[in-house]
Amino acid sequence: VKFDPSLPKEGINVSPAHPLREALLLVAGVIGVTAVVVLAIGVVLDFAVPRIPAGLEARLFSAWFGGYRVDDADAPPREAALAEILAKLGRHTNHPPCRFRVLMVDDPLPNAIAFPGGTIAVTAGLLERVESENELAFVLGHELGHFHNRDHLRGLGTGLALSMVWIAVGLGGGGSVAEIASIAGALTQRVFGREQEMRADRFGLELLASEYGHTAGAADFFEHLSESDRGLGRKFAGYFSTHPLHADRVDALGQAARVAGWPLHGERKPLAVVLRDGAAEE
Amino acid sequence: VDDLIVVALQLGIPLVLLVLAYFTGGSVERRHYASIRERELRWRGVPAISFRNIPPGWKVDDSALVMDNVVISVDYFKRFLASLRMIFGGRVKSYETLLDRCRREALIRLKVLAVERGFHAVINVRLETSRLANGRGKNGIAGIEVLAFGTAVQLRNRPV
Repeated sequence: VKFDPSLPKEGINVSPAHPLREALLLVAGVIGVTAVVVLAIGVVLDFAVPRIPAGLEARLFSAWFGGYRVDDADAPPREAALAEILAKLGRHTNHPPCRFRVLMVDDPLPNAIAFPGGTIAVTAGLLERVESENELAFVLGHELGHFHNRDHLRGLGTGLALSMVWIAVGLGGGGSVAEIASIAGALTQRVFGREQEMRADRFGLELLASEYGHTAGAADFFEHLSESDRGLGRKFAGYFSTHPLHADRVDALGQAARVAGWPLHGERKPLAVVLRDGAAEE
Repeated sequence: VDDLIVVALQLGIPLVLLVLAYFTGGSVERRHYASIRERELRWRGVPAISFRNIPPGWKVDDSALVMDNVVISVDYFKRFLASLRMIFGGRVKSYETLLDRCRREALIRLKVLAVERGFHAVINVRLETSRLANGRGKNGIAGIEVLAFGTAVQLRNRPV
């Protein structure tokens, strides 16, 4: 046996690829796949959501979130007052007036959320900042707009589907990859979420104009929000909230009102005593 | 701008870790390869072969079992690349260097061990690879271990 002491060539077991190039390619792949999945879910939901009957939705979800209707005798005063405003606005839509419920949430952050089943949750922080009935009516009208466009169901469906995707990606790839996928998905969703918010704004504006004859409260609402949203902590709370604040939303509202010929100014109706006092108690 | 801040917050820590691991892991690997090449050259005269039996013509005076093991850790960046690969498939290139380094290091150490104990060659060399779990679920790999073992032999007539 002859022993040959020469060494083998380098690079037999190692692929000649730059790790950064591979990382970029793969990350781009994950982002691309997630975006495609989110878009595909959106297409499916756009098809399916309008076909879900409102009655079925109410049966499925009304027990989840609760709330009070305008004809509920046992409604607490604040909920009753809110439900009354909601019923007034509801007359200008083609939805049955008893469909929607109101629920107060003791949260200092100003927000209103449309839940599946027709429940609108209003935070105490929102009542604190609102100064007229018109302003409040715009917020409620905005949420009615979400119901009208079935955005709440769309949001629920996207949320469920996305969490399944994230679990699948997390199982296959691990934590940081799931992180990338979740961010890519959330960003894709936000782009479309913004569109939904704009449409709901437009709907709320129309209800405001139909009920009060002018659109005065709408811009107030955003002004009050941005006043109270100075400061870093509030700012971050705003970023993570379901209703991101944007100057272009106000601009879009003003333009929509001008195009439709609705007066931008008018006399604001004062807030019902219960809602004002309720806010003062906080 | 809002979105950018959200992304920066959520991606910040993993990204810092990735960049850190890319540079530290890369530097460690480069230095290890330099050392491996240097020592492979220095110890190339010591045969480490996989024959089970004593090659014909060798006259063995003494023999002993020699073994060593090498453990190399996976860095954050390599694991990140590998976990991406687990989705798309393909060669897990980030782990290839890891195994390559482990095996070569183990073989060098085997030769050094044998020579230090007065032997001239190692026959019946075997390599075994196993991964060390770090106890954080099934995806957690702390590192890989290569165990090298063989029969070191002392020769009356040195083959080289």
